[in-house]
Amino acid sequence: MSTPVLELTDVTKRYGDFTAVNKINISIPQGSVYGFLGPNGAGKTTTIRMILDILRPDEGQIQVLGARSAMKVRDRIGYLPEEKGLYKKMKVWAIIAYFATLKGMNRRQAKDKAYTLLEKYGLHDFANASVESLSKGMGQKVQVLSSIAHDPELVILDEPFSGLDPVNQEVLEQLIRDLSANGQTVIFSTHVMQHAERLCERLLLITQGSKVFDGTVDEARAIIPRRIVLETRDNISPIRSLNGVLSVQEHPVDDDTRLPGTRQWELYVKEQTDPQLILQHCFESGVSLSRFDFTQASLHDVFVHLVGQEAREHNFR
Amino acid sequence: MRVTLLIAWREYMENVKTKGFWIGVLLVPIVFFLIFHVSSRLATATPTRYYLLIDQSGDYAAAVETAIRREHQRRVMQDFMRYLQENRTDVNAASFRVDPSSQLNQLLDNYDNDEVAALDQWLSSGGLNVALTMAQPYLRDGAPDFTEPRPQFVAAPLPPGVDPTADAQAIVEQLRPYLNGERRIDMAGDSASLFALILIPQDVDQDIVRPATIQGLMTPEEGPRGVQYWAGNLTDTRLSGAIQNSINSAIRQQEYARQGIDIAAVRNVQRTRLPLSRLDPGKEVGDEAVSLADTFRQWAPMGFVYLIFISLMQSVQYLLSNTIEEKSNRIIEVLLASVTPGELMMGKLLGIGITGITTILAWIGSFFVFIRLYQTVETAMIVQVLDVLLSSDLIPYFVFYYLCCYALYAGIFLAIGSLCNTLKEAQSLMMPLMAVLVVPILTMSFIAQDPNGTLARVMSWIPLFTPFTMMNRAAAQPPMVDVIGTTLVLVLTTAAVLWLSGRVFRQGILRSGQPPRIIELWRMLRRSAS
Repeated sequence: MSTPVLELTDVTKRYGDFTAVNKINISIPQGSVYGFLGPNGAGKTTTIRMILDILRPDEGQIQVLGARSAMKVRDRIGYLPEEKGLYKKMKVWAIIAYFATLKGMNRRQAKDKAYTLLEKYGLHDFANASVESLSKGMGQKVQVLSSIAHDPELVILDEPFSGLDPVNQEVLEQLIRDLSANGQTVIFSTHVMQHAERLCERLLLITQGSKVFDGTVDEARAIIPRRIVLETRDNISPIRSLNGVLSVQEHPVDDDTRLPGTRQWELYVKEQTDPQLILQHCFESGVSLSRFDFTQASLHDVFVHLVGQEAREHNFR
Repeated sequence: MRVTLLIAWREYMENVKTKGFWIGVLLVPIVFFLIFHVSSRLATATPTRYYLLIDQSGDYAAAVETAIRREHQRRVMQDFMRYLQENRTDVNAASFRVDPSSQLNQLLDNYDNDEVAALDQWLSSGGLNVALTMAQPYLRDGAPDFTEPRPQFVAAPLPPGVDPTADAQAIVEQLRPYLNGERRIDMAGDSASLFALILIPQDVDQDIVRPATIQGLMTPEEGPRGVQYWAGNLTDTRLSGAIQNSINSAIRQQEYARQGIDIAAVRNVQRTRLPLSRLDPGKEVGDEAVSLADTFRQWAPMGFVYLIFISLMQSVQYLLSNTIEEKSNRIIEVLLASVTPGELMMGKLLGIGITGITTILAWIGSFFVFIRLYQTVETAMIVQVLDVLLSSDLIPYFVFYYLCCYALYAGIFLAIGSLCNTLKEAQSLMMPLMAVLVVPILTMSFIAQDPNGTLARVMSWIPLFTPFTMMNRAAAQPPMVDVIGTTLVLVLTTAAVLWLSGRVFRQGILRSGQPPRIIELWRMLRRSAS
């Protein structure tokens, strides 16, 4: 495996008595799309600022693109902060070109690149408009473009989807896929699980400054056992004792159309258990079913499962 | 270094595009234009004032009319002298006085030294027409025609139905509508408003005040005494002044005659004078006479102090508003992912510094263009003075103190900007510093008058005042210990301030919320030092 693009080892950041980030360890391989998930105030932005060397960690080490400090490789990193802002009086092409020149591009190249990107992402007509004349969403697109104009190897996007309409969210998703296809590594933080589910190869889930999950999307889903819902009037003891069934819970049936005596059961099964086998076993054991539902846990369920309580507490603090 | 220059360039280009910058740049040429062009126009455009003189005593009307005519001739002569100096063949006065015995030459001599004598000669020799004929050979080709100024005061005829012999009170009542602007007087077909009524009562001589019999002019029981001057305009006192002077002059002549004193002898005595030569012991032997340029050179540092101050004020606005814009728009975070806080700060200092220098260069440039375009007596003098100034050592002083002053204050203001999210917050933090900045301006003229006095010396050693005070003292050869000592203190302080500001900037720039209190600021400095 190649050297990771980004590696955090026991990274900790404190503000007085408050620990914003607590011993985070991650390793991100080149070319991957990596999601930073977590409730508000979990420490995502602080972690990102430490990665970029805008803030210094109190403990631990950060290795970015082989360097100890992002400042040493700043020309190879692109960054979109959570709170977006641009110089209001500047022209759209000029601001993209300006940030690209700060990252080492020459003026000519930067201007050409700005126009190419604006053309590609549907903003060509606004190239000579001043930033203050743009809508919020367009301004945000311009800022995303200004963070990638210098073709960085590592792109860090903090809440890139917030404030965008569904159409522009799709445009941004496509942009992230383009970057990944180009071999560039993308890290983005988000609250919206669907984006992470569609885009990310790996996820980091943090809450209250600590890592609660780091792995692939499938690994995340596996955290919540798969569920099968059965409805029957028969005894389900043969099913209950099956290998692969982790636990069984009964739920009340609130549907009047069911035959009297029908009971609803929720079975939690192991990740590798095939639901077909359970169905087959029901037939073989003479359990007659009036309902059989198999559901896979979504990332949303995983998120709520892992951080739900903390997120609620945080919101009421 | 590359990113610092990029930031500086962007700052510069953005500032140069603002309206405020252009207003600042164009302000000075516009002021020049107004001073030299519009003010002279305004002077000639002063409206003619129509007055009504009713002299019941019969003793003073002639004196007043003569005085007003004489005052008009004085203005004609003044304008003519100015016209002559602007339009003669050579600006060098020596070659102009070709014939030392000529009447014109005498007139010029008198005009330079004794205006009363010049005016007498002007009137006795025939006034403007004769002077124009005499000056004709010495005028340059294409000189414009001389335009005589309009009379300032013109006597108005008595409106019909007013009895000049009536009681003073009755006359005033009859003329009140004219004085209040309700009715207008007829001036040979044109209607005009009556500016003032001068009423000299029959028994006015009883009210003459002599040193031995000093008494109040106005007592409630007796009503107004002496000459009555009725006018609604209380601010334009030229006419009342001219009348008072002319009547007093007439009375004094009467007094001289009454006491048997020769009037001509008195006037000659009054015009007797002894010239005073101002000499500078510091100049070469034989060349010690103090010229206008020398005097200007002593006062010029004050101009430079102003220039430093105004330029600094302009830069402060940019420093604060640009930093606060980046903070409140959250651009700062993107910038800090690309550049270090140090590079950002230096880029800003440099970009805004160059903006300030551009403004000053534009001012100086427009000044030179101005003195080329408007070649008048005053600008010819300014050119001579500028030559003296440019060849003096004031310019290097100015460049040095300008740069130090800018770096010192800009560092502080940038740190303040980094701690604030809005201009309002910044203004409250700026207040103490602005109070400090006012001190050199308030003390400026005292220091120019006593450049090596205690106040000047003490203020020179306070780094925040050093650039202003030492600039102000630059023309007076301050002691070497002051020059070297204060320069060292200033440079070290500037370096320390920039270093500390860098620390505050680094900590402050990502801060949100209220600006910190002093104790928090101290903690921030310590944190960034650790």
